[in-house]
Amino acid sequence: MAAEDARYRQSSQYRLWSFSPVELATLREKSNALAKASISERMLSSNASRPASGANTPDGDATPTLPEFLTPTEEALLVTFYTSEVLRAGNHAGYRDAIKATAAVFFRRFYVTNSIMTYPPNDMVLVTLFLANKAEANFVNIGEFANKFGKKNAESILAGEFLLCQALRFAFDVKHPFRALKGAVMALRRIGGIDDKRINAAEHRAHEILCFSPLMTDAYFHYTPSQIMLAALSLADRGLVEQLIADTFHHVSPPGTSGPGTPMETGDAPPPPRRDTKSEDKATIIGAWIRDKVLGTIEACRDMLSKELPEERREHWASQDVFAAELKPLRKKLNKCRDPDRSNLLELHRRRREQARIKAETEDDDAEDRGAALADDGAVFGDAGPRDTKRRKVGKGLEDPFGGPL
Amino acid sequence: MNENEKRKYIKGRKLGEGTYANVYLGQLRTDPAVLVAIKKMKVQREQDGIAYDAVRELKFLQELHHPNIVELLSVFNSKDQNLNLVLEYLPLGDLESLIRDTDRVRYGAADIKAWMGMLTRAVWFCHDNFVLHRDIKPNNLLIAADGEVKLADFGLARSFADPGVNMTHMVITRWYRPPELLFGCRSYSGAVDVWSVGLVFAELIIRTPFLPGNSEVDQINRICQAIGTPTEDNWPGVSSLRSYAVPAEVYPVPDKKAWMDRFGGVGAEGVDLLCKTLVLDPNKRITAREMLEHRWWRTDPKPTRKEDLPRSKDDGAKKMGADLGRRPGAVEDENRGSKVARRLDFGAK
Ligand SMILES: Nc1ncnc2c1ncn2[C@@H]1O[C@H](COP(=O)(O)OP(=O)(O)OP(=O)(O)O)[C@@H](O)[C@H]1O
Repeated sequence: MAAEDARYRQSSQYRLWSFSPVELATLREKSNALAKASISERMLSSNASRPASGANTPDGDATPTLPEFLTPTEEALLVTFYTSEVLRAGNHAGYRDAIKATAAVFFRRFYVTNSIMTYPPNDMVLVTLFLANKAEANFVNIGEFANKFGKKNAESILAGEFLLCQALRFAFDVKHPFRALKGAVMALRRIGGIDDKRINAAEHRAHEILCFSPLMTDAYFHYTPSQIMLAALSLADRGLVEQLIADTFHHVSPPGTSGPGTPMETGDAPPPPRRDTKSEDKATIIGAWIRDKVLGTIEACRDMLSKELPEERREHWASQDVFAAELKPLRKKLNKCRDPDRSNLLELHRRRREQARIKAETEDDDAEDRGAALADDGAVFGDAGPRDTKRRKVGKGLEDPFGGPL
Repeated sequence: MNENEKRKYIKGRKLGEGTYANVYLGQLRTDPAVLVAIKKMKVQREQDGIAYDAVRELKFLQELHHPNIVELLSVFNSKDQNLNLVLEYLPLGDLESLIRDTDRVRYGAADIKAWMGMLTRAVWFCHDNFVLHRDIKPNNLLIAADGEVKLADFGLARSFADPGVNMTHMVITRWYRPPELLFGCRSYSGAVDVWSVGLVFAELIIRTPFLPGNSEVDQINRICQAIGTPTEDNWPGVSSLRSYAVPAEVYPVPDKKAWMDRFGGVGAEGVDLLCKTLVLDPNKRITAREMLEHRWWRTDPKPTRKEDLPRSKDDGAKKMGADLGRRPGAVEDENRGSKVARRLDFGAK
């Protein structure tokens, strides 16, 4: 497990998309505040430039009033609702679990640094599902894809795709807990003496949980795939996880000696490292210490998953009553406070393309190839991560074809 | 900070062209001695959105960090919405040009062992991360200033599929394509890459492509003649593969002596390893991990130190060395390399 963690730390999921709850909340508050500020600015300036007698100004010549904006909490609720829509759309199309899960993760990542008031969630549901197909190596034709969801033209999906890629910082690999679950089941069978029926039932339930609960919560931002898997498995059958952990930590080697270990790091080609018996002894002591730490983490993750058990899909998210009481008012509110400039991805895309075209015509493109600066090219990511609060400031200087993150 | 971020690189001359990208030399604006390669994806047809090749290459290069895999330093989009991948610059050409330049480039078993070691480590690392490369060939093995070989071009890569999920068999350049793919098998494993590694190994020894088929049928024929006809005897289940078809004459799997005659330059242990990578039945083929445990690496001669490996005598590479004002591979290049990596890392700790 220690070796797996060392490897996990190299992943983009850890490097770019892991946050503490506080960090995550801060990022979302910031996205919300920035959206409010820029939408206000846009609404005020478009009101000001409009003649007083113009249409769409119900208040006539009164000072334009701003709508009430969504709070970060309301945004979070909507993001979760639309995440359930991503999963529903994926089911409708009959996609593999990994594709649906990747789409859901893409969706939630997108709305960490973008406000739901800025980019329309309805469109982004299909955009994330489309890109998830590509990321999970499932070839889909964009026309057929759009058709599946009753869309006559696919342009708005493509219009959002690049935007999504940028928000994801071009990291398309999502580490899911599915593979870890298979490994755990194999390990359980190896322990011996456990009824196969029990293992199978637990696997089935855990898999069902993995296809919903971690995706509908922030689990992927806070926990590793194996932690999420163990939390789901313990929701299915706590006793099995206890046995698994007791078994695992008997064998684990102490931290620091069990990196992934590239065989033949030098030209001399020594064989892959083998465990010696001394560290085996030490492992049982340190193992107990790690075990308690691991158990605490799994417990916390379990709590998070238990808030969105698969039954919630039917009982909560698909319920008309809940929709009418909780979501409809928020969607109404969203309709009033959405960014007037960006709620139509297609329009936005067209405008940006047009700008790019004009620019290209006025500039000699060859100049770029002959050594001119890439001045107008935006570095999408350099050394500033989303953890870095300066990120958006950096973003402002870039030429985002869609007009900067916010 | 802002300004640096915005105008971080200066794009220079074109280094090469691939099917879906042009590659340019780039310099760090703040330190022009720091060179990078900028891979600019070609304009894509509007209706497809972002190209699969680009998605795949980015997906895997973002995750795989290893001395023998080309390092992705950054990504940015140009004003025409094209993706630009900033890669570590690998100035010394590729293995293909070394293999081909039989007049000017001399190398021996110790050099082959060093190159094969680096290639095998790269492939092991991919497979250990559940990634299939699916296009291993000498010209996708680029060479860094210090002689390190780096596996590049992940445009065809994919993650290992779950059992039952079909994959396309139309991958890997024909000469390096294993028989299971030629027979239309759609559920395969890391063994496909191992076959390609074996053919690179053979090519390094004989300095010409070992099985240069000019069509898929010809490719199968060549495999049958050189390595034996795949039959139910040596490969249970092969005859039920979708497009299984072999020449009427059944060729036996050649014995050790036949292999020694042709590939003996790398010694008996080397030939043993080669044979194990070119086993017809993918289930019996050696894995990348097992390759690393093979005895050949520890028998004499020792692999050449990367700094001492033969270099391309190509004008391009020579000029590059001159541009830098020092011999390629000098120690400072290594420091420089690590400096680039530090400066441009993604914020990983
Ligand atoms: N990091 C690098 N440093 C130096 N040169 C490079 C680098 N990457 C690529 N090149 C050069 O650019 C050429 C094309 O690059 P690459 O093979 O990655 O493109 P591609 O479109 O994926 O090619 P292919 O047609 O082989 O799939 C290479 O043959 C090589 O000469």
